Amino acid sequence: MKNGLTISVMAHAAVLLWAVVSFAPRTLNAPPSESMPIDIISTTEFSQLRAGARNAPKTETPKPLVEKVAEKKAADDPIAKIVQKPELITASAQVPPPAADAKPEPKSKAAENKDPKPDPKTDAIADVLKKEQKPEPKKEAKPQPKKPDKPQPKFDANRIAALLDKRDPQRVAAAGDVVNHTLAFGARTGDAPTLSQSEIDAFRQRLKSCWTPPAGAPNADRIKVPITIRLKLDRTLAAPPEVEMRASDPYTQAMIESAVRAIIQCQPYTMFSVPRYEIWKELPLSFDPVEMFGGG
Amino acid sequence: MRNRNLRFVELSLSRRRLLAGAASLSFAAIAGGALSRVQAAPRIAITEGSFQPMPIALPDFLGGSSGDSELARSITQVVAADLRRSGLFAPIDPAAYIERIVNTDAVPRFADWRAINAQALVTGRLTRQSDGRLKSEFRLWDVFAGQQLIGQQYFTTPDNWRRVAHIISDAIYERLTGEKGYFDTRIVFVDETGPRERRVKRLAIMDQDGAGVRYLTRGEDLVLTPRFNPSTQEITYMSYGQGDPRVYLLNIETGQREIVGNFPGMTFAPRFSPDGQRVIMSLQQGGNANLFVMDLRSKTTTRLTDTAAIDTAPCYSPDGQQICFESDRGGTQQIYIVAAGGGAAQRISFGSGSYSTPVWSPRGDAIAFTKRGQGTFGIGVIKPDGSGERLLTEGYHNEGPTWAPNGRVLAFFRDPGGNSGPSLFTVDVTGRNEQRIPAPSYASDPAWSPLLS
Repeated sequence: MKNGLTISVMAHAAVLLWAVVSFAPRTLNAPPSESMPIDIISTTEFSQLRAGARNAPKTETPKPLVEKVAEKKAADDPIAKIVQKPELITASAQVPPPAADAKPEPKSKAAENKDPKPDPKTDAIADVLKKEQKPEPKKEAKPQPKKPDKPQPKFDANRIAALLDKRDPQRVAAAGDVVNHTLAFGARTGDAPTLSQSEIDAFRQRLKSCWTPPAGAPNADRIKVPITIRLKLDRTLAAPPEVEMRASDPYTQAMIESAVRAIIQCQPYTMFSVPRYEIWKELPLSFDPVEMFGGG
Repeated sequence: MRNRNLRFVELSLSRRRLLAGAASLSFAAIAGGALSRVQAAPRIAITEGSFQPMPIALPDFLGGSSGDSELARSITQVVAADLRRSGLFAPIDPAAYIERIVNTDAVPRFADWRAINAQALVTGRLTRQSDGRLKSEFRLWDVFAGQQLIGQQYFTTPDNWRRVAHIISDAIYERLTGEKGYFDTRIVFVDETGPRERRVKRLAIMDQDGAGVRYLTRGEDLVLTPRFNPSTQEITYMSYGQGDPRVYLLNIETGQREIVGNFPGMTFAPRFSPDGQRVIMSLQQGGNANLFVMDLRSKTTTRLTDTAAIDTAPCYSPDGQQICFESDRGGTQQIYIVAAGGGAAQRISFGSGSYSTPVWSPRGDAIAFTKRGQGTFGIGVIKPDGSGERLLTEGYHNEGPTWAPNGRVLAFFRDPGGNSGPSLFTVDVTGRNEQRIPAPSYASDPAWSPLLS
């Protein structure tokens, strides 16, 4: 018994020792993954963020286009009884002539199909359908002798003219409360509150053509100029560009002036669209020539 | 019993309140963080521009009388030529100007200048004073910002009009690029005439734009490698008179000449220290050469390096603390740096080929050198820590770089070989804008003076 116990204990100890020695701890190979910063907010917070602050200063918002003040019309009295039922005219009663070739057969079939099942509720419609059933066979007879050799309906370019709306073009002036000639439409709070990448790229390309940074400073690649610009609706500057740093030496002064010159020279910035004025009316920029001095 | 219940209720309420308070606090913190992040929109990074010369308008300066108008026009032309040659400015053709400047004290019509795309405008006026001196004044305008940048006036004798023009160019250059100018400087060089086998070499000096050439020696002796003193108007140069090379010290303003010493076996003239009190040179003894420093007043020499290799072409750093030189102790000619007081030398160049004539930029941020390899010569620059090596120009036999005092432009000479001779060229430190300096004949070994003013 004792022997067995000691042997068992020693065997267990040996196995454990072997396990400890052989199973060497290996470091976990966790490849570094790109972490994304995430904020968790509730839906009410989200909608409040987008709605804006109650006591924020009023800003200029684009108004819809109005070309003339609308005439005031008296609204129909909504609670008056309907005494007169206007005559119902269905669309199939006004079939255009060239389509009559194709339409009569299926239409007559449809009318026949509808016939055996009159809907007692829509009497007016059934009456009209009965009415048009009668002129259908007449129409059938007429077009066929006229064009006996006309094959199944084919697209005929000459007939397009007959399909066109022959009414005189009328442009109705946009009417509203106050006359406003600047065109703007779309919701005031759009669902894309940032500039699109293509707009940003177009803006940077525009400034690339105007900006000439002074090249020779010994630390030119480390000078960054933060500037904020404010634009009007016509995409020109509303005020001189605000430089948010003070020049500490002549090189920085020259770099700042080159950036300001570039901004003023490159007006107007036509890549921005008027309806999204809220997004681009104030732009923070950073002029950073580090990539241009890659060669040292 | 009731009390216990109440107490229990109170406790749980307070815990609940605590939890609710913590939750709302965390929500507020997160919301506040989110709000603040949303309000601070990321800046649009403008990282690309173009290196184009700045269009600048230079209408003729106004002059009082007709003679003065002629002088005023000459001054304007010298300023325009200086700015154009720097490669950083593009003077606009006067035929395109819309507004005619008649009064330099009035604000110009910026809209007219914007229409021709001028980014800067220079207006000026010359008036003759009662004592015969010339008063030159000018204003530099920023056309797009609509304001004056600088306004200066200078009094001088009428013969000095070229210097006034160069000083005006320097002021404009400095304000618009942020760097100190280099137009009011002179270049001393070796003027070569005659056939290649029997060249007559004379020491000459001229303005950096090639005007006003003056000869300093007569050409009987062979002269080589003039060097400018960075603080005074003195130069040293080597002259092979009666066989032995001698080093002379020449004061340009007074014309006074003195012998620094008699140095057999010397190949390069010594260079000045930044304070102008000492010169550093390489002396040959037997098969090797070492660096020595000599005090100009006391004429005492101290040895700087002591190796079995050839150490030559030494040059001081602008703060006087370090010396760069070429040495072949590593097998090939490479550039080394040693402290001005002596000590261990550190190698900074490791490329293939041989490096020679290192010159430290007055800005201290680069060392220019001549590199020879694969049959071509090139002028290059390297940072003092050994990084950023690049070649600015390559060709057969480019040699002898010298820095303009603002550390932005280099002058060197190029000998195309054959029957013709060498010419002087300038190149910008970015490698662009290589220009030839007009000289009366062949020219070599340029040395750039410090600013005259």
